[in-house]
Amino acid sequence: MTTYESSLISNRTMGWRMGLRNMLLKENFAWWRTRRWWIQILVAVLILNGSLALNLRDPMGAPVDAQAINYLNTSALFVPILIVILAQDAILGERHSGTTAWVLSKPLQRPAFILSKLIAYGLGFLVTWVLIPNIIFYIQLVAAGREGLSIPGFIGLIGLSFLNLLFYMTLALMLATLFDSRTPGLGISLLIAWAGPLQIFAKPFEKYTPWLEDILPWKLISGFGEPPLAGYLALGAKLPTVVPIIATVLWCVVFIGVAIWRTGREEF
Amino acid sequence: MNSITTKFPQDLTKQVTEWIVPVSETSVPVIEAHGLSKAYKGVEALKSLDLQVQKNSICGFLGPNGAGKTTTIKLLLGLARPTGGSALVFGKDIEKENDLIRRKVGYLSQDPRYYDYMTARQTLRFTAGFFYEGPKVEIENRVAETLELVGLSDKADRPIKGFSGGERQRLGIAQAQVNYPDLLILDEPAASLDPIGRRDVLEVMEKLRKHSTIFYSTHILDDVQRVSDTVVILNHGELVAQGPIEELLANGQGTTFTLTVKGDSAAVETRLHNQSWVTGIKTISKNGRVSWRIQVSDPQIAEDQLVPLALAGGGVTICEFGRKAQNLEEVFMNIVEEDNHDHV
Repeated sequence: MTTYESSLISNRTMGWRMGLRNMLLKENFAWWRTRRWWIQILVAVLILNGSLALNLRDPMGAPVDAQAINYLNTSALFVPILIVILAQDAILGERHSGTTAWVLSKPLQRPAFILSKLIAYGLGFLVTWVLIPNIIFYIQLVAAGREGLSIPGFIGLIGLSFLNLLFYMTLALMLATLFDSRTPGLGISLLIAWAGPLQIFAKPFEKYTPWLEDILPWKLISGFGEPPLAGYLALGAKLPTVVPIIATVLWCVVFIGVAIWRTGREEF
Repeated sequence: MNSITTKFPQDLTKQVTEWIVPVSETSVPVIEAHGLSKAYKGVEALKSLDLQVQKNSICGFLGPNGAGKTTTIKLLLGLARPTGGSALVFGKDIEKENDLIRRKVGYLSQDPRYYDYMTARQTLRFTAGFFYEGPKVEIENRVAETLELVGLSDKADRPIKGFSGGERQRLGIAQAQVNYPDLLILDEPAASLDPIGRRDVLEVMEKLRKHSTIFYSTHILDDVQRVSDTVVILNHGELVAQGPIEELLANGQGTTFTLTVKGDSAAVETRLHNQSWVTGIKTISKNGRVSWRIQVSDPQIAEDQLVPLALAGGGVTICEFGRKAQNLEEVFMNIVEEDNHDHV
């Protein structure tokens, strides 16, 4: 075979990274060299910044700070839905279409398959659903006359928005490896996503399991009637607690760990 | 090895040892399974399969739908885990060393699916990326060469979304062999291809046999007979036959002769039935002639005695006599039907 191989250099990466680079190239291609990126940006800006712009133009509308809280709540309510649908599809769509079995028949490690989704989708969502809408959000607030916003604090707000998004993305990736249908993953993710911002769900949780708000990402960009942690950061104020931040990071790690473990056991 | 190398002067010994392939290397089967089994929720899809596929052979993997062919292929590729037994590919364990196996294998699935937003060229570039780091130009050359091989050069830059079934199948064959694998595993490679496409696929397989071992499942038995050296037949998850194709054809159901006569055929038929070496007779009457398909256990005796036997009583004219070549379809049907009877 060696004479037949010409001067091509064989890929010798072994272990969990085997195939990761190639899968990442492919996932990034799907994000940035198809229509996906600008559609995501368009939807994100229309939903988040569009609604804020309409509210800010209303002369009888609420004060700017209340509008900012509304923006964050809208983000907490709607972003998880889209993130969960897209992230689930990254796993389930491929499994159902047969492309997962195809790529796994090549020199690709299963952890690398999951990590490529995590990294590429994480980057894609960061740019389309966090960075661009939040930069516009900042500009909108400044344009509306809100003073005293700290730029480092606003970067912190972006960080917490991304962490919140990462929680739902990793949760969706994990659930997609555990269930063969989209319904359970969507149901569980949305229950968690909406239980915080929506008072109808939040009240019983506050009453019977008040500790849940400390270990779930509910306080990151929305709050139980209180300013979200992202709000404190945006104003350059001291955070009342960092427990939800640490807990959310840990959840993300656990979700990815479970997704990798489950994919390792999957049969195609 | 030693006895060969001692015939050469000392300075030639090194060169000789470089091109003489050690006996052990050629004799190690590329695929070797021992008692390989797989059950899904208590249902046995594959029952204790013992299998050997030799290097540089083209092995046709046959069996009715649900016989366990795709399951076997998935086990070999590590896409499923065996519930019993073991298998080695290139001497590597399919469970513990599957990463090493997949580096040397090309695989075409039964229903190949790719990323629809990619073109054929991008798909092959992506596939090649699992095997090669560069140089980029060489990878592009390989991709172009592979597209040419399967006749997709003119459609290379069209999105796969618009591809027909046959074009997808060609792309499937291309991606399976873009790394020039040592082992090519093809699950129904000629499915959904028109006769020209089928012929092209067989030609590609013949070209690749110099470099690769080809293990492929199919329902098209004519193709198997045309290109394969060995055949493995599965039925109900069990191995029912395995061996070189000529052996299988020769041993399938004994040898068959055809004899066509005009005249008093009843007496001839009685005489034929009385021979111990005649194992079966099928009679067809047409246009005043009677034809028999005579299965015999001893082809030599049959060849010598069938004609004298027919003429012995007089009153008949022989119109046609000859040995009928068994085709794989008949052998396959006989083996599978016999096995189905055993299962009933």
